[in-house]
Amino acid sequence: VQRHSQQESHVHYAQLGTDVTLQCGSVDPEATVTWTANTTDLDASHLNGSRLVLHNVDLSQSGQYSCYEGTSWHLKYRVNLKVGTPPKEPVLMCRSNNYPNGFYCSWHLPSPTYMNDTYDITIIHDSKEIACKKDIPAKNRCYIQYHQVFSSKKYRVTLTATNPLGSSSTTISFDEFSIVKPDPPESVVAKPIAHNPRRLQVTWQYPSSWPDPDSFPLKFFLRYRPLIIDQWQHVELSDGTSHIITDAYAGKEYIIQVAAKDNEIGTWSDWSVAVHATPWTEEPKHLTTEAQGTETTTASTSAFMVAPTARPSDPDDAGN
Amino acid sequence: MASTERLPGASQHHEFCRPTLYLLRKMRSDASLLLESYAEKQGLDTNFSLDLIDGVPVAETECWAEISDAERLQDNLKAYWAFEILLEEILEEQRSNLTPADVAFHESIKSVMLQVTALAYQLEELMVILNHNVPAREYEDRRSPGENGSFEKKIRGLKVLQQLAQWTVRSIKDLHQVSKSLQPGTVLCAASCTAQAQEK
Repeated sequence: VQRHSQQESHVHYAQLGTDVTLQCGSVDPEATVTWTANTTDLDASHLNGSRLVLHNVDLSQSGQYSCYEGTSWHLKYRVNLKVGTPPKEPVLMCRSNNYPNGFYCSWHLPSPTYMNDTYDITIIHDSKEIACKKDIPAKNRCYIQYHQVFSSKKYRVTLTATNPLGSSSTTISFDEFSIVKPDPPESVVAKPIAHNPRRLQVTWQYPSSWPDPDSFPLKFFLRYRPLIIDQWQHVELSDGTSHIITDAYAGKEYIIQVAAKDNEIGTWSDWSVAVHATPWTEEPKHLTTEAQGTETTTASTSAFMVAPTARPSDPDDAGN
Repeated sequence: MASTERLPGASQHHEFCRPTLYLLRKMRSDASLLLESYAEKQGLDTNFSLDLIDGVPVAETECWAEISDAERLQDNLKAYWAFEILLEEILEEQRSNLTPADVAFHESIKSVMLQVTALAYQLEELMVILNHNVPAREYEDRRSPGENGSFEKKIRGLKVLQQLAQWTVRSIKDLHQVSKSLQPGTVLCAASCTAQAQEK
């Protein structure tokens, strides 16, 4: 049977879990028709006259539905059914990782809607609306250039998410200083120092996104621990991009990370990528067999003996 | 905290008048604390919109990076001169009728006042050393006519302290910006800074 399939296609949006009734275009409600879903015939139990009734629809029922006149198999109506959900309240976050140039806002929906969602963002500062330049690669993100800095007036950002099934919005308000959060420090390197079995030299660089290190110097927070111990040791450094750890356990591999913060405002960055290093250790000497026997016994004992250390910095280290 | 050792070569620019930067950081923390205790004692919310209150030097500025060093230091100096007067008014209002018995609170206001005076003095000296014109000091009554009720005095004081806290951040960044145009290694301190540094 040749089906005539020339017909303009319509779209019908339906919320997940609801009942859907599809009309066969302008055909008489009592006429005899056949419905197909993606070319599969649907049995008569779904029909109410010429209308197709689908109960408690789920995502798998999205697709193309076609209605043919019962006897002539002439395509009378075609509709694309899209099943999904209206957007829930979007999660919105604004942050300045390149202060004082500007800040970006990014957002996401807490759960998928299976629909094309569109977003509208408005930013108000000092009773004026400020443009938010869409960030081309990142769909759900836009960038705001600071026109004024050191302002005590709050920023108010409203984001509305919309799709054919509904819309939802979120509003946040913040002041300029509170959203300053640098990116983590970069190029973190940790190296042993020759002839210093208790020392490690750590160096790093400013995050490349931080525009003006001279006028907006960062302070840094270093944390380090031997792999065999869970307790981190911390040291805060008010400037400079290097540090020597002077109380490392001899011969133990260390894991080290660094974070950054503007000296006066905002919050700490996330931790940098972790780096590993082991303090310098004496090369074993080439000895005769007899001496070697004695040496081995001594060496094996010292390997597990924790070298006397300076007063532990944290009270709870005293027990180790 | 672990034991530490500093590598040589801390950024030279930050040597520029380190005592002034320390003073500003102290002021920032004291002014922020004072702002909170002030709001609490006057029963005010720090999120209160204060935009309509004028006569208080506001820290916000446009094209911050393009401001000349001279203008930058002048803006700072004028602001802290104004804060000296405004803090004096706040102290007077608190003593006379808003919190007459709260002597400790008055002391914390006076402490910030002294820091502002010291900072203004240091800024003035820096401008002389850097051969910038020191602006003439103008004494103007900054209060608007309608502002004599208690509530108006309270929220005005809130704006003064809010902006003072903002200014301390701006001033720190301004000083860093000014020091960029100096030769690295130049330790440029007003006489009083050097005196302070030698006392340590």
